[in-house]
Amino acid sequence: MAVQNKRTIFLQRLVSYAVLLVFAVISIFPIWQIVNISLRPGNQLLSTVLEFIPSNATLENYVRLLSERDFFVWMGNSALISIAVTLSGVALASTAGYAFSRYQFIGKKFGLLTLLTTQMFPATMLLLPMYIMLINLELINSYIGIVIVYSATALPFCIWTMKGYYDTIPPTLEEAASIDGCSPFMTFYKVILPLAAPALVITALFSFMTAWSEYLVAAQILQDSELWTLPLGLKSFEASMSTEWGLYGAASLIVMVPVVVLFLLLSRYLISGLTLGSVKG
Amino acid sequence: MSSRKWFVAALIAPAILVMAFVVFYPFIYNVFLAFGNMNLSRIRDWELVGFRQFVKIFTEPSQPGFYVIFLKTVIWTAANVFFHVVIGVFLALILNQHLQGRSAFRTLLILPWAIPQYIVALTWRGMFNYEYGSINLIITKYLGLPAVEWLKSPTEAFLAIIMTNVWLGFPFMMVIALGALQSIPHELYEAADIDGAKWHQKLRAITLPLIRPVMIPAITLGVIWTFNNLNIVWLVSNGGEPSDNTHILVSFVYKAAFNFYSFSNAAALSLIIFFILLAFSLFFMKKSRATEAAY
Amino acid sequence: MAALVPACRQKHSDSERIVIWHQMRPDERVILQRQLTRYMEVYSAIRVVELYKETEELRSGFVIASIAGQGPDLVYGPSDPIGIYETTKTIKPLEPYFSTEYLGQFSASALTWYNNHLYQIADKIGNHLALVYNKKYLERPPTNDREWIEISKEIQEKHGYVAGRPNVYGLAWNYTEPFFFIPFLTGFGGWVFESDGVTPSLNSAAMVKALRFVRDLRDVHKIIPNESDYEIADALFKDQKAAMMINGDWSWAGYVQKGIDVGIAPLPMISETGLWCAPMTSPKGYSLSANVSPEKTERIIRLLRFLLSEENQLETVRAIMTAPTLRTLYNRTEITSNPIIMNSLLQIERGRPMPVVPEMRAVWDAMRPAYQAVMGGARTPEQAARDMQELAVKKIRDMNE
Repeated sequence: MAVQNKRTIFLQRLVSYAVLLVFAVISIFPIWQIVNISLRPGNQLLSTVLEFIPSNATLENYVRLLSERDFFVWMGNSALISIAVTLSGVALASTAGYAFSRYQFIGKKFGLLTLLTTQMFPATMLLLPMYIMLINLELINSYIGIVIVYSATALPFCIWTMKGYYDTIPPTLEEAASIDGCSPFMTFYKVILPLAAPALVITALFSFMTAWSEYLVAAQILQDSELWTLPLGLKSFEASMSTEWGLYGAASLIVMVPVVVLFLLLSRYLISGLTLGSVKG
Repeated sequence: MSSRKWFVAALIAPAILVMAFVVFYPFIYNVFLAFGNMNLSRIRDWELVGFRQFVKIFTEPSQPGFYVIFLKTVIWTAANVFFHVVIGVFLALILNQHLQGRSAFRTLLILPWAIPQYIVALTWRGMFNYEYGSINLIITKYLGLPAVEWLKSPTEAFLAIIMTNVWLGFPFMMVIALGALQSIPHELYEAADIDGAKWHQKLRAITLPLIRPVMIPAITLGVIWTFNNLNIVWLVSNGGEPSDNTHILVSFVYKAAFNFYSFSNAAALSLIIFFILLAFSLFFMKKSRATEAAY
Repeated sequence: MAALVPACRQKHSDSERIVIWHQMRPDERVILQRQLTRYMEVYSAIRVVELYKETEELRSGFVIASIAGQGPDLVYGPSDPIGIYETTKTIKPLEPYFSTEYLGQFSASALTWYNNHLYQIADKIGNHLALVYNKKYLERPPTNDREWIEISKEIQEKHGYVAGRPNVYGLAWNYTEPFFFIPFLTGFGGWVFESDGVTPSLNSAAMVKALRFVRDLRDVHKIIPNESDYEIADALFKDQKAAMMINGDWSWAGYVQKGIDVGIAPLPMISETGLWCAPMTSPKGYSLSANVSPEKTERIIRLLRFLLSEENQLETVRAIMTAPTLRTLYNRTEITSNPIIMNSLLQIERGRPMPVVPEMRAVWDAMRPAYQAVMGGARTPEQAARDMQELAVKKIRDMNE
């Protein structure tokens, strides 16, 4: 019995590593091509030569990106907006999701479904009236307008995810806490929220990514180059047939870094191990 | 009792207010547009004309026709979401084990989510080139199969954009599945092990049902987002090549609005898309009873 | 009350702030910024702000912003959206502000008239395709289609084949896009519109011949790659795996930069008709937004004169080798001694102006699927020509409903 178990575990491990390796290679392959684009002198997206690294690789694209373009300005702007959206997203979704999960009230079902419907209408057509509305409210060229719009875009998914996660936490915990004398808010904040850490991570990551990589709305709202976010900055390297691929490639890779860093920081809580098993009793 | 109601209201109100502000007004505006005749020559002084746009969309024999595109959009959506979820959950299950270096693998596997889409979509397009692309290179050199004319034939082009979008989308589902897996108490698995359950029995009886509350919204929204995901389709196929054969419904919204300034037509089509997705969601939500709690 | 204060402040700085939206390439942008800086040094009370938007976005973004009462004071770009801007009444006529003598200084193609009004004055003529060749592979560019095919075959033979694919293609270009097909249409005597300028004329014998010719380049003569979009053709030429290319003036400097010994020549002639392959040419210039207030107009016109001036156009020519629009500049040594510019001007002369009517968009959209079907082997040229015409007529009818 024990020997068979050891072998199964070994095989399981082997297969797991093999699968992970295959998928890791698949994930990296196109990204490695972008690394090549960034190292290739002379603005070439594609190459007809198969090389691991371009033979005349150079770092000049990175140098030009950081010195000749306002890359750091864009990054700062994006960071500001993305952090604001992440914080508001986590705050609003964690509370609204909790309400939808725990309480029965008139319009609950309607509210949940309406959240979904906001995602169904093609975004291209929503932009035109939104633009006019933002002009009338003088929110053009301001970050407040963008943060509000991004939060609205990200919230439906976040609220639903938080609700879904709360749904897996049995209400017995809140009952126990209430017997112990905790107010509803304290129960929510001290007991339930930590247990929902993985969902909070998903909410945070999603909100951040929504704000970090969004282009259409930002292009409509931000009319001054100094206010540009990273996607707008990257777009400025594009010209229908004269895209500066070297700069674009370098910028794309650098743009990935904060996302990866955020993921690394948060993934600890994603697989927190704070499962219900350890909390019972 | 009423303090409880206030508590609930306080939890939800901010979110609802923001949504109302940002989404509902544009939506209502579009509803009006859809029943109007705004186009290039009537861009300021358009008026309501009833169902004309809708009649046009459903009855006019355009090439390609509405129903063909609708079918393609459904296939596009179903294929993508299916692979996103299956691959995502599969990888999450693997990563949930105590493996060495799983943190590194986790990070590598979310890279497709993190890289800006424009350049990576065009890179994928380059990979599908018949003579010089990496995909054909691998197929011919390592698999010994004949090269495929990916971007010139309608079916293959469709496959190409699906492959690209699956690559872009599986990390997202993987992260959600990873999170969802954390909500499953260990004792359930321990108890099943004691009972001598095999891995697939544990999967079907414990894992899958318990990640449902989190996966169902993700799948629903995945369907909605993919249905309307114009970006990748447009970039990889270079705007519908070959010969307008790789379009999905929302491509026509974009073309109508920004190539021809037929805003009313675009609004009407958008409304049709909206109702299709609404019908799907209502059906799916009812079947999965997602608006209720799991306990 | 508090809301009024920012509004007041805004009005005050409004008249001293001029906004230009453009789609200039990076190398053009640098020059614009330099020129604007010089302007602001002289007129220190004025602040000129330039914003880049990608061509397609500029077009729709400008229309939407303008209709909403916002948007820039000047919009810069190629001439083809002028018809759309005029129909949506988002730009104003320019001829009231300039004397006939002033306008007479410009080459005729630099002034875009539409419906009897002047809507754009250009500082560059460009966007035209020409023959780009790598001098490493051929010293003399072909002058007619027979030579073109022969030279290509020679080059391919000379450099050998691997698994059926030539190591160096004779010709590579973005042949999936109708814009890059136009020279062949004109070479066989066809054009996109009838003489009235708004009725499509796509179902012509010239179209059928041109379609067949391009398809045969790949299937019969085998001198172009199997699949070639813009980026692949660009890569092939830059990797020196294509001897010749058809590309526009925006790209030539990039090849020079890459270290390729590049030559530019006008596109060859089609021997059957004796006509030159004529690409579409487009002026790139400034238009005035309809939202500009009368008080501000004078300041903007002053800026416009500066940007269009001889000195500034010469600076641009020296820096990026584009064709200027002031007649007096054509005799300057900077131009006459530069073979690339001279050939470019020759090509422009042989080219045809891109139509600015809104119907053009319908024509592009109608040409694309049928053209690609011919190249994909799914349709005959005759059928494709018929389809293009039918679709174009329908789309125009839809547009004008």
